[in-house]
Amino acid sequence: MTQVLEKEAPQRDNTLPLPRIEPEGDFAPRLDAPLSVPLPSAAPAAARGTLGLALSGAGVLALGFAVLGSANFVAAQFDRAAWLGWLTLAVAVAGFGLIGAGVWRELRGLFALHAVDRVRQAAASGDAASLKRALRPWLARQPDGPALIEALEPLADRAAVLALLRAGPLAALGARADALGRAAAVQIFAATAALPSPVFDGLLTGWRGARLVRQVAELHGMRPGMLATLSLLRRTALSAAGVVASDLAANTLAQAVLSNPLLRHAAGDVAGAGVAARRMIVLARAAAAACSPLPPA
Amino acid sequence: MAAASALGTLGQIAELPATRRVRVGVTGLARAGKTAFLTSVAANLLAAGAGVPVLPALAVRAGARPFSVALAPSGASDMPRFDYAAHLAALAADPPRWPARTDAVSLLALDLRIGWTGLLTPLPSRRVVLEFLDYPGEWLLDLPLLAQDFRAWSQAVLRRLERPEAAAVARDFLAFQRGLPAGAAADEALAAAGHALYRAALARLRDEAGLSFLQPGRFLMPAPGPEPPWMGFFPHTGEGGLAGLLRERYEAYRDAVRAAMQAPAFGRVDRLVVLADVLAALHAGPAAFADTEAALGAVARALRWRGSWLGALADQLPSWLAAGLGLGGIARVAFAASKSDHVAERQRGNLAALVRALTEVPEQAAAGAFAIASVRCTEDFVWSLEGRNISAVRGRVLGEARLTRSYPGEVPDRPPGPEFWKHAFLAPPVFEPMRLPDGGRAGVPQIGLDALLAFLLEDVL
Repeated sequence: MTQVLEKEAPQRDNTLPLPRIEPEGDFAPRLDAPLSVPLPSAAPAAARGTLGLALSGAGVLALGFAVLGSANFVAAQFDRAAWLGWLTLAVAVAGFGLIGAGVWRELRGLFALHAVDRVRQAAASGDAASLKRALRPWLARQPDGPALIEALEPLADRAAVLALLRAGPLAALGARADALGRAAAVQIFAATAALPSPVFDGLLTGWRGARLVRQVAELHGMRPGMLATLSLLRRTALSAAGVVASDLAANTLAQAVLSNPLLRHAAGDVAGAGVAARRMIVLARAAAAACSPLPPA
Repeated sequence: MAAASALGTLGQIAELPATRRVRVGVTGLARAGKTAFLTSVAANLLAAGAGVPVLPALAVRAGARPFSVALAPSGASDMPRFDYAAHLAALAADPPRWPARTDAVSLLALDLRIGWTGLLTPLPSRRVVLEFLDYPGEWLLDLPLLAQDFRAWSQAVLRRLERPEAAAVARDFLAFQRGLPAGAAADEALAAAGHALYRAALARLRDEAGLSFLQPGRFLMPAPGPEPPWMGFFPHTGEGGLAGLLRERYEAYRDAVRAAMQAPAFGRVDRLVVLADVLAALHAGPAAFADTEAALGAVARALRWRGSWLGALADQLPSWLAAGLGLGGIARVAFAASKSDHVAERQRGNLAALVRALTEVPEQAAAGAFAIASVRCTEDFVWSLEGRNISAVRGRVLGEARLTRSYPGEVPDRPPGPEFWKHAFLAPPVFEPMRLPDGGRAGVPQIGLDALLAFLLEDVL
């Protein structure tokens, strides 16, 4: 500081205008931040690709021609005999009805996943009121949901709403998902150690993993069909990357240690069974995080 | 450098099983913007932890390592928590409000989890608890008292009060002081009257004269709870019974200050942010500016700095071991001129240079000078004035629905000379905060805060 004071003190540039403060115009909206920085969305939206378009076209053709062909066939049957026409119509309606029911079930499973996304968006960007509004339909499907809806009503603080949900239904769901994961882990551990070929290990683990994801989804009030299960598996993989990173890190470490040839030899096949079983527990947690209407705390 | 980095990484790995606690003292003279600073730090760190790019300098420092941030639970701590949610809600409201000023110590604790990259990826995340201690700047001005006896302190204070810029405001107390016999007997009524007059003078010196170097600090910012009797003293250079009584009370006050400094609340502070409203001091005139300079210098001299080689050792040790070995003291300090958005970008470099020139810290401590705006209120624009294009700012004044243009004057890059004071430096208006994206959950618009945090947490990340 002394050195600075020894320098010549700054002089004012006399060619500069005099300082001033003046109002401008009549009305101006509140200023916004120079760069808008929106929150990242819960799940990135995928653009419709060429393959998707081609498959959609094939679907329309198959379904459209099937309907048209069936209609022509029913009309032809009516020409032959009225009773034959009615019978053919009943068969066609039943067949297409069952297909429609299947499609509806798939769509309902996908809608349930989108409902979770909507609640997540409200949790990320809304205030307490909009969060409670978004949560109401989801809570209504939960055990003790109505009581919880009442408990949430007086809360005006978003953080308090989230805390109550995490402490109540989400903690219970998490515990039940963990139990499902442990049950699957025990089955995998026993079966992997007993199966004669590693090929069967992979098949068994894949099948049990997919079933576990569906079980966890049903626990969260969803009944995923085939498409919803595929979507759920993709979300589970995403949530596993970010949500349970510490579990995965521990799993990776265990795998790295137990994959060591020397240790593997020492521990025998039980080591591989242990890693596969641990994967079930991690998978259950990742699936629960994917199905949960709130991001992890 | 590479060796230090490797040592740092080894130190961080050694800390894996334990949680590292980093306590940052945030202090500043009245109205320097401590509450806004803490609110902005919390909101921006939480947003950065959620992946929003609001603190680019900090993100560069963290590199590819993933990190997450959450408010740390308060547990069974007896330290009052910083009311982050209420302060953020005030800034995010429409119309917005500036957070109410705080008048006691409080703590903002954030839980950082920092992952690893490369071969260390499988290791569990490091946990660092960042504790920001909101410490009234007035209390920091009590530190120099620890090195002064009552007589020396009284003489210094009375000399300052008799300067022209203070004498008029402190007239009543000075008149009482002059009328007091040097050998006055110990009398409770006299002590109470003198104390009340001195305290009123301090408040007026702060509010009307814009002065900062006012002691004792707890007279202006009392600690919560009932006031102990030893608070009832005032500067007096006499030799009688009254002087003895006042000296005893002054000693008791110093003991309380010493105990507070050694208490866990402040004793564990190892890095510090000192905020100062330098623009307000430039507006208040040469006397107030010199007073701010004196206050900042006194604070810098009174702090307990960490020794050079012991400090380097403490930086590399796990925090529990460093604390156990008694390697305390302030190791890193950031002096920051707040409200830098009240001048144009062209002048913010000068503002930081001015702060650097006003402060003096020992060489062994890492010190940085910054010009920051914790909550940005204005936008820069070019103002055509008297045929010249001038960089200025504009924003909405609190409570008004139109923009106000502001060119308060030129900010010098070092303590200004007499020529500077011939032209007024205008008081910048009280602007309203910019709209907070996503109600503050996507961060708070700021200037320079990321550079300050990157400097402060350089060895943590």
